[in-house]
Amino acid sequence: MSDFAVEPSSHMSVILDLTPAQWYLSSLPKNEYPLSFRSFLSQTLAFLNSHLASKHENTLAVYGALPGKSVILYSSTDSSVGQDETVADANSYQPFKTVDSVVASQITDELDALGDSDEEAPCQLVGALTKALCHINRIMNPNFTTGASDAPQPTREPRIIILSVSPDLSTSYIPIMNSIFSAQKLKVTIDVCKIFGPDAVFLQQAAHLTGGSYIYLERRDAYLQHLMMTFLSPRSVRGILAVPTQEKIDFRAACFCHKTIVDIGFVCSVCLSIFCQPVPVCSTCRTKFPMKTLQRLNASRPSFPPQPVVRSMSAARTPTTSTPPGTRTPSVSNHHADRTTSISSSASAKVNGSSSVAVGNGMTP
Amino acid sequence: MEVESGSDDFIDDDDDFGGSRGKNVKGKGKAIDRRKKDKGKGKINEQAYAWEASYTRSWDTVQEDEAGSLQSAVDDLLARGRRRRLLAPSSAFRRTIIRHLILLLDLSASMMDRDMRPTRFDLMLEYSREFVLEWFDQNPLGQIGVVGMRAGVGERIGEMSSNPQDVLKAIADRHKLEPAGEPSLQNAIEMARSSMSHLPTHSSREITIIFGSLTTVDPGNIHDTLDACIKDKIRISVVALAAEMKICREMCDKTGGQFGVAINDGHFKDILFELIPPPTQRAASKAGGGASNPSADLMMMGFPTRLPDTSPPALCVCHSELKSEGFLCPRCSAKLCDVPTDCDICGLMIVSSPHLARSFHHLFPVKPYDAVMEASLSSPSANCHGCEAPFPKTASAMSGEGISPLGRYKCPICLNDFCSDCDVFVHDVVHCCPGCGK
Repeated sequence: MSDFAVEPSSHMSVILDLTPAQWYLSSLPKNEYPLSFRSFLSQTLAFLNSHLASKHENTLAVYGALPGKSVILYSSTDSSVGQDETVADANSYQPFKTVDSVVASQITDELDALGDSDEEAPCQLVGALTKALCHINRIMNPNFTTGASDAPQPTREPRIIILSVSPDLSTSYIPIMNSIFSAQKLKVTIDVCKIFGPDAVFLQQAAHLTGGSYIYLERRDAYLQHLMMTFLSPRSVRGILAVPTQEKIDFRAACFCHKTIVDIGFVCSVCLSIFCQPVPVCSTCRTKFPMKTLQRLNASRPSFPPQPVVRSMSAARTPTTSTPPGTRTPSVSNHHADRTTSISSSASAKVNGSSSVAVGNGMTP
Repeated sequence: MEVESGSDDFIDDDDDFGGSRGKNVKGKGKAIDRRKKDKGKGKINEQAYAWEASYTRSWDTVQEDEAGSLQSAVDDLLARGRRRRLLAPSSAFRRTIIRHLILLLDLSASMMDRDMRPTRFDLMLEYSREFVLEWFDQNPLGQIGVVGMRAGVGERIGEMSSNPQDVLKAIADRHKLEPAGEPSLQNAIEMARSSMSHLPTHSSREITIIFGSLTTVDPGNIHDTLDACIKDKIRISVVALAAEMKICREMCDKTGGQFGVAINDGHFKDILFELIPPPTQRAASKAGGGASNPSADLMMMGFPTRLPDTSPPALCVCHSELKSEGFLCPRCSAKLCDVPTDCDICGLMIVSSPHLARSFHHLFPVKPYDAVMEASLSSPSANCHGCEAPFPKTASAMSGEGISPLGRYKCPICLNDFCSDCDVFVHDVVHCCPGCGK
């Protein structure tokens, strides 16, 4: 295999988010760029075909994340998944036709099987992700126990592409993080295309930690173009191409108590459980926290982002009665300038400022 | 074979007690010969003294089945892994995750001994680098400082840092660390102790000493230092390269640390790396004598936003350098170079959530799957729920505790069947069941 050294074949696992409610919202004409599920599917299939076409050894697996369950829709490595009942057609390339018909018919079957009650259930993205990882684990390490039918295969570059439409599910924070770490261990790249809905914090982290790219699709009419330009190239080629990367990565976490996503959390020092508010007893490891800490943290709690500015103003305003305002106002505006430029000399000034604020705050109640 | 292994054991014991001197000398000569041979062979076998290892003929324990395949042996190994997992203590739950460690390196003249190749000193540096990397991988919220013992004084080599690159840089240049003079345990421990005195109580304080000398030159009574360490709840662990010293053993025993004497380079690495996993808190409280556990605390932490390297450059608060990439403090929006750290402006502890999440699988382990012993009537699925591999149609003959003859392992919650590969993978790597997402 001479071109193996040039570019290894790649395995791609695609996870389709098949949440009917979100797809309905996405197709509404009031969106600037509505994208219906039908056109999504046809463009995705074109992308899958081009992946298969770009190298003969490339393999493909397609998973569906449905509300309450996750299924494998197609796998080019297992003949057992998705029986091909289409007859050969002289005018089409058979592998393409197989993928298209199997994926389409499987999706139809699964969506038909969904009951009304199931539609409320949260989308099983984690299940699809872990299944994809298990599958990659098997094809990357062909083992005597199960892979008897698999011929010895060359090493592949595995990656996972998540096409997501539903918002973050904060209950699945820990499983998603665990999947990310195992993807790191398996050297799997996770790419994310967020087609509809708000930014997904956990998927951003997934893409960042595994070296993939996260795309928030603004022009949904250019969906196929984004897929082709960003996600078609395997990892070995991406160093050469300028693949779009994400702008900011949000490293926020979900708290264990209310499953809300927090940017400032309270963490148990024993087991590192995250809480969104000070709690007397850790719910995970049953550690009791000292009363003093609770009081201190409760006192400092209102200090969330917009607050410090207001407070420094009020702290500056309280003594205004005794001193002329002219001397004070510049120092306040200085504080604001410092925040944006953040020079270390101003850092010490700010520390002084904030400590004096803290004293003032402690005295007010 | 029985007789053979028995005789090996006998020699092993003899050697341990320093039985006959002649035998020892002869053994050493032999060992050097052997090592030379090993080097020629590409250092495949790290075990230098064959008679010190328990002699097992591993190839005899592997049995082929009737078809001549090794599948049963492989399955047996898998089953052994399963059993070990089941036996793993479930109470090792409370671990000190936020750790502070001072790595105390012996830089005395005795480190130039060549009983470990190339020298004790070079080997120590090499292993310390690997140790630091691995340590930070498993303890992402920890900090390491480095102190050297050289020419009778303690020498600060690297400040306490949470960045592995800083620590590696401190021990990168071997010419700056050239061994000289006598070591002083007391001076070095005092220095390490003073640099950890300001740390919060919920974090662990540890000193790991790599000690090659057999003497220590101290200005005062080292037992006073030891008492001070016990009072400060500093855990001292020693990896000795020469032999056991009473004071070292005493320090480890009284502070709850581990003591080990390296037999050869492989063993040196093993006992050093045993110190990497976070220690359980139960052990700490037992050794420290504290009945209650007052060290637990609730900490306020901020989760930052990371800026890409294409963002407009701005000055960072930690180095005052103009940089594009960085992290924004969620409370005061100051720009920081690296996490985890304390925000220089508002003092908030900044960690990225993946750092915390790395330890979560300790908290919420996957329930062990049950081995399916007999084919049930309720139409079992044909494929593994995880990787879609087809299950064998017929039950294989071999059996054993924890092994399913059908190759099926059932999750007790979602009742899906998994193959043995996925069973191992799910429990060891993913820590999340594909069926129920728990």
